[in-house]
Amino acid sequence: MSIFTSPTAEDVNGSTLKIQSGHNVLARQPNGDVRSIKIDRDSSNSPSSTVAVGRLGSFHANELIGHPYGFSYEMVNKQLKVLPVRTLEEVEDTDATNELINDGEFVQPLTLEEIQTLKQSGVHASEIIKKQIEQHANYSLKTEYSKDKYKKRKEAKYSKSFTTIEPTIYNVCNYWFNKDQNRIRDIRPDTLSQILTMANIQPGGRYLAVDDASGLVVAAILERLGGSGMLLTICDTDSPPAYPVVANMNFPPDMVQSVLISLNWANSEQDYVSVHAPVEVPVDEIRSDRQKTRLRKRKAAYDLLENTREELFGGEFEALVVASQYEPSGIIDRLVPYLAGSASIVAHSPHSQPLVDLQNKLRNTPGFLGPSLTEGWLRQYQVLPGRTHPTMNTSGSGGYILHAIKVYDDPTANSVIIPRSQKTKMSIDCGAVHSAAATPTLLSSS
Amino acid sequence: MWSKARNILAGDTVILWLTRDALQPLIIEPGKEFNSKFGSYRHSDLVGIPFGSKVGSRTGKGFIHVLRPTPELWTMALPHRTQILYLADIAFITSHLNIKGGSHVVEAGTGSGSFSHSVMRSIGSSGHLWSYEFHETRANKARQEFLRHGLSDRVTLSHRNVCKDGFTVIDTADALFLDLPAPWDAIEHAKKALRKDRIARICCFSPCMEQVLRTVSALNDAGFTDITMYETLLRPYDIQQTPALPTIADLSHKLKQSELRREEKRLKQIASGHRGGSEDENNGKLKLPRVSASGAGYESSSSLSFGEKRKREGAEGENEEMLSGEPVGGKRAKTEEEDVVVVAEDTQSSTPGDVPMTDVPLSLKVERSSGEEKSEMPSLVQPMKINLSKVMPEVRGHTSYLTFACLLPPLPTEVTNESSEKASIE
Repeated sequence: MSIFTSPTAEDVNGSTLKIQSGHNVLARQPNGDVRSIKIDRDSSNSPSSTVAVGRLGSFHANELIGHPYGFSYEMVNKQLKVLPVRTLEEVEDTDATNELINDGEFVQPLTLEEIQTLKQSGVHASEIIKKQIEQHANYSLKTEYSKDKYKKRKEAKYSKSFTTIEPTIYNVCNYWFNKDQNRIRDIRPDTLSQILTMANIQPGGRYLAVDDASGLVVAAILERLGGSGMLLTICDTDSPPAYPVVANMNFPPDMVQSVLISLNWANSEQDYVSVHAPVEVPVDEIRSDRQKTRLRKRKAAYDLLENTREELFGGEFEALVVASQYEPSGIIDRLVPYLAGSASIVAHSPHSQPLVDLQNKLRNTPGFLGPSLTEGWLRQYQVLPGRTHPTMNTSGSGGYILHAIKVYDDPTANSVIIPRSQKTKMSIDCGAVHSAAATPTLLSSS
Repeated sequence: MWSKARNILAGDTVILWLTRDALQPLIIEPGKEFNSKFGSYRHSDLVGIPFGSKVGSRTGKGFIHVLRPTPELWTMALPHRTQILYLADIAFITSHLNIKGGSHVVEAGTGSGSFSHSVMRSIGSSGHLWSYEFHETRANKARQEFLRHGLSDRVTLSHRNVCKDGFTVIDTADALFLDLPAPWDAIEHAKKALRKDRIARICCFSPCMEQVLRTVSALNDAGFTDITMYETLLRPYDIQQTPALPTIADLSHKLKQSELRREEKRLKQIASGHRGGSEDENNGKLKLPRVSASGAGYESSSSLSFGEKRKREGAEGENEEMLSGEPVGGKRAKTEEEDVVVVAEDTQSSTPGDVPMTDVPLSLKVERSSGEEKSEMPSLVQPMKINLSKVMPEVRGHTSYLTFACLLPPLPTEVTNESSEKASIE
């Protein structure tokens, strides 16, 4: 049989192998926009569930289920037609130039109404484009590059097609970054990859994360872990937060549940005693089964909370990743005691100032080694035969990353020479003493 | 991979952090000693202490940090046998190729093993790396290194020229990475090694644009799609703490003072030197009142801004005699009056805003405003320290262009039939 039903080599994550019912699928439209569409198999309450791709059209969800990611489809009468794979076309250079082409000339006798009528009559996009080209007054004057561009632009306009995008963390991050970069705190795919690398994330590891970036960091760590290890997130909400980005990854539920646990900031304080309804009730006081169930649930929730706290206070976590709107130094102070020696501390911010201040603080605090601040830089190139150049627009910044290593200090150890940083510090201290001496004079004589 | 235990044991590989720019790998062998300009250390003294410890030298001068190896630290410390990949490239390639727990990855060549270590970390024990190196000595060195780092079960290393002889796996790799001088010669082979039942990905790493162009057309001819090309790097920042930047108000006050002193000196010279010249006398007479007037104006200045400047001068400890002088005292009182006015205004302006928020006890409010007063005073005194950042003067720039492409499974024929068939089965 075909590739769809043949048993395939095992993918530990299983998640991204094929499109399944319940998946959120990213679909790229001809104009380059990406949307997330939910694929649900037909069920008794929706016997023929259809999925809409924006205003382009719609199709029966069943058509897509079982397919691998990456194909392009055309929607024809709610059916999907797989389009052949597109390769880059060599464009032959000619002597044509834009010498005789002027702006604002009347070149297209085909009116908008006529095009609308064509569209409504169900004429294929390629036919409309062909008509437009035939009627275009200056088309033959265009260079071959320009003709190619023209055709592509028209295709993007009329084609009722889309391409499925595999929900890898790179693609999902890219999707969110283009959709709403504020919600993921400006974390660009390259920045995210640097965070994971600097934090030394590996399957089986135990990590602490503070993610106010809609769960992008959580999704990325979960993907790397592949279902083994532990991720403890500290959150600012009462109950464990819904990390919306995680939904785009289509993880099998156990891949998340077996790994991810959460605590809020109050419960992360070691001496805090959480306020809750009594968990243990004497047997003779239980009056109904409903009460019994309720108590059991309450007990389970309480145990989970206490176990999670124990997990945190047990320490020896291998890295701390912070992408938070809260003041970073307080977060670091609170969580660093639970890190193992030599663990990585990685903090991201869309702004440099908080991390600049943090770096300066950590540099002068024992227990932190080599705090450094970096910013990612990324440039994409268009690679078309004969037309390779950097893209016209590029993202300005993916935010800043501070990295440091947790160490156990030994205050008795002496340096061989006074490092330059200490010298500067001394001179600053002298300055401080000076002004401090001056201040009382001013105050006392007043 | 490397030890995950809390404490260091004999036989462990550790990374010694001597300075930010001097890292060194070390295998703990009790009986041996580590000596450097940062002191001397017995291996046996490192056994049993936790990873991440700061350790003082036996001589009492110097210290080192003993760290748990990571692929990144290893890259910084490793003996370079070839031009190696750095963090920004490694991270981006790993992410773009979707390398994660359980991935099957192919790379050629192995080089110094910088990328290999990072990949083996990311794929974990359930993934596998097939690594190919055509230089025999380098292949052997890398093999020994992988063995020593406990990675033998995650990697299959072959001494092989993949451009000539192809890879040893078929339909296996999720991701394939080519760091070769002529990647286009390996692309047809790569296609065989990549799996065909789902999207597989390739990255070619080339420093020159000419290589990129040849690679792109080879990828295109071989049927790869989604060809994209990137360049990425890390911009490291240099951070300094300095006193708040000097202001031009201070500067212009200083300039005025020196002008004043110069003029006074000139007049003194005139007074002691010349006794005749009517022109000079005229000049002196003309100027003297102006100077003294401005001087007096300064001494008993009623302007707050002037007072501020004076205080700043004082804080810098440049004009201490002036501070003890009588007129200064008078002026200071003036400044304070001004302060009080400011505070009063503040309280007034803040009151309407506070009212709706209600019952803030009066005492609190008073405290608040007095707090403001306090915070106002030192800010007049100035020098807060500020943190400044700028990009390091030299950034490790372009190492290579990263060309990515996807290989899709063969196009399904009769898709519609099949999926409806599947649906009817379900």
